[in-house]
Amino acid sequence: MEPLLKLQDVSVNFAGLRALANVTFNAHGGEVRAVIGPNGAGKTTLFNAISGYVPASGGAIHFKGDPIHGLAPHDISVKGVRRTFQNGGLFPELTALENVLAGLHVHIEGSFLGIVFGSKEAREAEREGIAKARRLLDLMDLGAIADQPVKDLSGGQQRMVEIVRTLAMDPPLLLLDEPVVGLSPPMRDRMMEIIRRLAGEEGIGIMLIEHVIDLVMSGSDVIVVLSSGELIAEGTPEEVRQNREVLEAYLGHV
Amino acid sequence: MSDTKAPSVPSMTRWRRVYYLIPVIALIIPFIANEYLLWVVNAILVYTLVTVGFNLIIGNLGQLAFANTAFFGIGAYTTAILMVYFDIPYALAIVASAIVGGIAGFLASVTALRGIRLYYLAIITLAFGELMRWVYLHGDKVTDGSDGLLLPKASFFWLPLDSEAPKFYVFLLLTVLVVKATSNLMRSKIGRAIVSIRDNEAATASLGIYTARYIVLAFVWSGSVVGIAGAMFAVLTERVLPEAFGLTEVIIHFGMVLVGGAGSIVGSVLGAIALTTLPEYFRQFPGMDELFFGIIIVLVLLFLPKGLVSLLCRISPVFNERYYRD
Repeated sequence: MEPLLKLQDVSVNFAGLRALANVTFNAHGGEVRAVIGPNGAGKTTLFNAISGYVPASGGAIHFKGDPIHGLAPHDISVKGVRRTFQNGGLFPELTALENVLAGLHVHIEGSFLGIVFGSKEAREAEREGIAKARRLLDLMDLGAIADQPVKDLSGGQQRMVEIVRTLAMDPPLLLLDEPVVGLSPPMRDRMMEIIRRLAGEEGIGIMLIEHVIDLVMSGSDVIVVLSSGELIAEGTPEEVRQNREVLEAYLGHV
Repeated sequence: MSDTKAPSVPSMTRWRRVYYLIPVIALIIPFIANEYLLWVVNAILVYTLVTVGFNLIIGNLGQLAFANTAFFGIGAYTTAILMVYFDIPYALAIVASAIVGGIAGFLASVTALRGIRLYYLAIITLAFGELMRWVYLHGDKVTDGSDGLLLPKASFFWLPLDSEAPKFYVFLLLTVLVVKATSNLMRSKIGRAIVSIRDNEAATASLGIYTARYIVLAFVWSGSVVGIAGAMFAVLTERVLPEAFGLTEVIIHFGMVLVGGAGSIVGSVLGAIALTTLPEYFRQFPGMDELFFGIIIVLVLLFLPKGLVSLLCRISPVFNERYYRD
């Protein structure tokens, strides 16, 4: 099976400091792939390199067989790689609905002149977008807070809105940067259940960075372990749990 | 999957139709106001567009770009020069001012695109405004320098603009059209992209939105809107002077945005009304008028940090700026 995402010897340097060194792996659709490792291991840098926020100084990244290294973040997003951000990537002043609508930006048709003059086509496209956004929010039980600015929502609701926003365009690959950080244990379980469902039922390839090892072990199919920018292990949770190098570099200290 | 029902939200579009009544009611102003009051109302219309254009950059795009007086002056001088030297009809001159203002907006956006932001963008754009004032002053072969460029009598198509009343109708028409077009723009995917850039530029790109395109678009639109305001200002004052586009003018424009409400079109209108009428009122206290002006700005920002529009938002949520159209 053709991998959804193919990383070949990907390296990232910051002013002489090697943040990622020759990372190679394949990610597949329908798979939950966790990226773990100590602080400074290069996990977020890996996400930034895949999504185009930092340039790879070496190696190649292919998505569905097409090279995406060197593309701008918005181009990579349009191709179907969507991500969330560690510190929250929502637009706080906008409502949950408007945040999801922003996620549907590419999907909502409408020429510049059509929008300025309020043409029937532009308004129809906007209404369809709104209907889709409300439907998506309803699916995640967020219908009731759709018209509230996201800055007024709880941390859990904000995480959910961000997930809905990334899902709006039915992306084949989702990169979730610490999706359960700051959530209560029941909310964490619920979020992991949703993530499992997205991979299992929708066939979405999911990569997630996570520090809660219990969740990673129970919720992921494959674990990638980074340490000092290098991939030190890749395998099922069971394999990774027994890997000596991983125990020394990371798990042993948890 | 869910049994949660969204609470019924009043349809924004339906409620917003109330706004259409405002210009209709305004049509009677020339019948009840004297020439001086009508001049003040015309100035409010000019400054409404000045503020709407500026607010797009400051409030919606969230960039500290102060090239607004440059756009304003460029619009005014474009109309004046075309009418004085080329005998171009006023209606065409307005279009030209919009285009030249838009080009100036594009130039201002280049600095922001090159990663110059915050205080650096502020100082560069302020310098752009001062540079333009230097051009008006020293390009005296064309601009008549500090004497200012005296406009010929203007007509809008067949309507001679020889008193305040016909100017009022033309300015009202222009203001309504431009405000409506800007409102359409903001309540669409374009407006959402612009505001998203303000809130989180990196996350905006992650949604497939080409942020540079929308930064340029916001600046060009702002430059065009304020350029049109400049074309109106030229005919309102009938003489275009370099002093009208100095640093004090930037402060007035900025004051209008903040007093009205950053990021709000309704706020822009309120800010333009408040900071155009109050200085006129304070003229009766010579020497103290600027002091009063300053005090008003400080008081509003102390007690209504989100501007006058926040008073309306307390009355009804329909006054909250929203970025979609149902």
